[in-house]
Amino acid sequence: MTRFRTVSLVTRRELLERGRSRAFLVSLVISIAIVVGAVFLPALIGQTKPQHLGIVGTAPSDFADNVQKVAQSVDLTVIVDAVPDTATAETRLKDGSLDAALVIPTDGSGPTYVVKSRDNSLLQQIVVGSFKPQPQIPLHELEPSDPGRDTAFVFANVGVILLFIAIFTFGTWVLTGVVEEKQSRVVEVVLATMDPRDLLIGKVLGIGLLGIVQLTAMVGVGLGLGIALGRFTLPASTPGAVTMLLLWFVLGYAFYATALAVLGALASRMEEASNAASPVSILATVAYLFALIVALNDPSGTAARIASFIPPVAPMVVPLRAALGAIEPWEIVLSATIMVISIWGLFVVGGRVYSGAVLQTGARMRLRDAWRASVRG
Amino acid sequence: MLDITDLSKAYGAVIALDAATFSAQPGRIVGFLGPNGAGKTTTMRCIFGLATPDRGSITWGGKPIDRDARLRFGYMPEQRGLYPRMKVAEQLAYFAELHGLDGPAARSAATRWLDGVGLSDRAGSKLETLSHGNQQRVQLGAALVHDPELVILDEPFSGLDPLGIETMSSILRARAAEGVAVVFSSHQLDLVEDICEDVVIVNRGRIAAAGPIDELRAASNRRHLEVEVVANENRWLEECPQLVVEEARGDFARLVAPAGIDLAAVLAVASSAGEVRRFAYQPPTLSELFLEIVR
Repeated sequence: MTRFRTVSLVTRRELLERGRSRAFLVSLVISIAIVVGAVFLPALIGQTKPQHLGIVGTAPSDFADNVQKVAQSVDLTVIVDAVPDTATAETRLKDGSLDAALVIPTDGSGPTYVVKSRDNSLLQQIVVGSFKPQPQIPLHELEPSDPGRDTAFVFANVGVILLFIAIFTFGTWVLTGVVEEKQSRVVEVVLATMDPRDLLIGKVLGIGLLGIVQLTAMVGVGLGLGIALGRFTLPASTPGAVTMLLLWFVLGYAFYATALAVLGALASRMEEASNAASPVSILATVAYLFALIVALNDPSGTAARIASFIPPVAPMVVPLRAALGAIEPWEIVLSATIMVISIWGLFVVGGRVYSGAVLQTGARMRLRDAWRASVRG
Repeated sequence: MLDITDLSKAYGAVIALDAATFSAQPGRIVGFLGPNGAGKTTTMRCIFGLATPDRGSITWGGKPIDRDARLRFGYMPEQRGLYPRMKVAEQLAYFAELHGLDGPAARSAATRWLDGVGLSDRAGSKLETLSHGNQQRVQLGAALVHDPELVILDEPFSGLDPLGIETMSSILRARAAEGVAVVFSSHQLDLVEDICEDVVIVNRGRIAAAGPIDELRAASNRRHLEVEVVANENRWLEECPQLVVEEARGDFARLVAPAGIDLAAVLAVASSAGEVRRFAYQPPTLSELFLEIVR
């Protein structure tokens, strides 16, 4: 029997057994709920918060009443303030005590709608709708932004969170799967028919495919809802960003799942599993926090650039930098290459430790003993 | 034929196997005996490549055992192991596929063997919902589902009730009758004597005895002599100092006779002491043989 057939049998078992399990369905539902929440929550918060509109100059007499009427119809509270001059309005826009200002020149020319940065178009529509007849009101931004930037920022942020959740959820499944096989001793029957490395590959592959299913569902639902509800318009870089997300899930998952499988083989009971896995869990969390705190703030900085070439951190930093458009193509290629090489290295070293450890019974093993005990090393 | 030659294995300072040599033939059941820690499990794990011997060879049909050969073996390890949350029939089909059967053949083999171990009605149950004895039946099914040429079972009878023992032994006998080589370890020596043609007794990593049970018993120097002389209360024994008394109660005596004893002379002494109601001379049981060897 070929190794390919053996590996695919193991993969198929993991897919079928876990894909049908309640744990996977629950995980799928929860992760989709998180995405739905992430899309809806800002909308809900944004609408309930009262909006402050400053008016410079003299508005038509019925303007303030009209604003209230229109605002009520869309369930929004708008507080209208008279502001003495444009300079004051700009200061208050910048410090956030005004959300928008309507500047009506005394010379009778058309009004201008001024905001700090474009975000809430609802208030602008209310203002426009309160004039009769409706004029063309030019928009003036104090700090004009790249229209795609905010969306890219959200994408990068949410992307890293999704990536971390997915890598960690499915990495943990590999960990518990390995410990379960060792604890139940079924591994002895299985390994009477195959090389330990084939079991390891098949398991990582099967659970990884479930991870891709879940991640795809999360991204698909998130993007679909976002577009349908008009929460954001997709920047042109979206397909690239999603591809990067999946690519780096595959790389990050392969790295972390292999490491977790090896550590899981050292444990002898489920109770020891999380303990045995703690070095890798801590590393993953540090990488995640580094991505969210350091790399998100300064995606082109030296720290982020160096981190892109360090395997445990790269899977979270690189897609984030890519989503922000702050990475060179050669950096991505080099980083992915380093990642693939280190996964291979981890597999060669880890595969031997796994082989040595997974058949041992009794107390938790040390790495060194497992290396020496390797049967087919 | 399974040939194990000069097999040696040490774990650190502990010698698990020391130049063990024996064989198992198609169509015969070998009882693999030895005290705990004698090296039985290590030998079995070496056969399946789960442990690497330091020295020695294991061949099947004269050829070293590779993975393809191993796929035609069946294994029931001492520490039972199956997937607790997997359905019984799917589990057997999975193991059949791992041994090289294609999907449809694996599924029909699983159905056939579930029937064989009497669990057809539990095909769709998760393993963990089965009783201990029934899980053991599934484990046997997993070792046999691909119709192996060689079956190795580590303590298959431990923990089984009499009904389970009956099922297990009749299945093993049927396999051997089909030409399968069967090797199993056990501490239940009466059972081994009942089922096996051959035994291998391993002690402290060495093979202490190997061969057909009848030959081993016949070759033993140790003989039992049971004598009952009416109304004599074993006083006649005083004239036969060469006999070692194992048990003496009333007129009955159970004795150990040295090799080459003159039975006619002993009988003559007993007869002259009174009416001889019983005079039985027999080779040792397997249990006695075993204890004699491993002590």
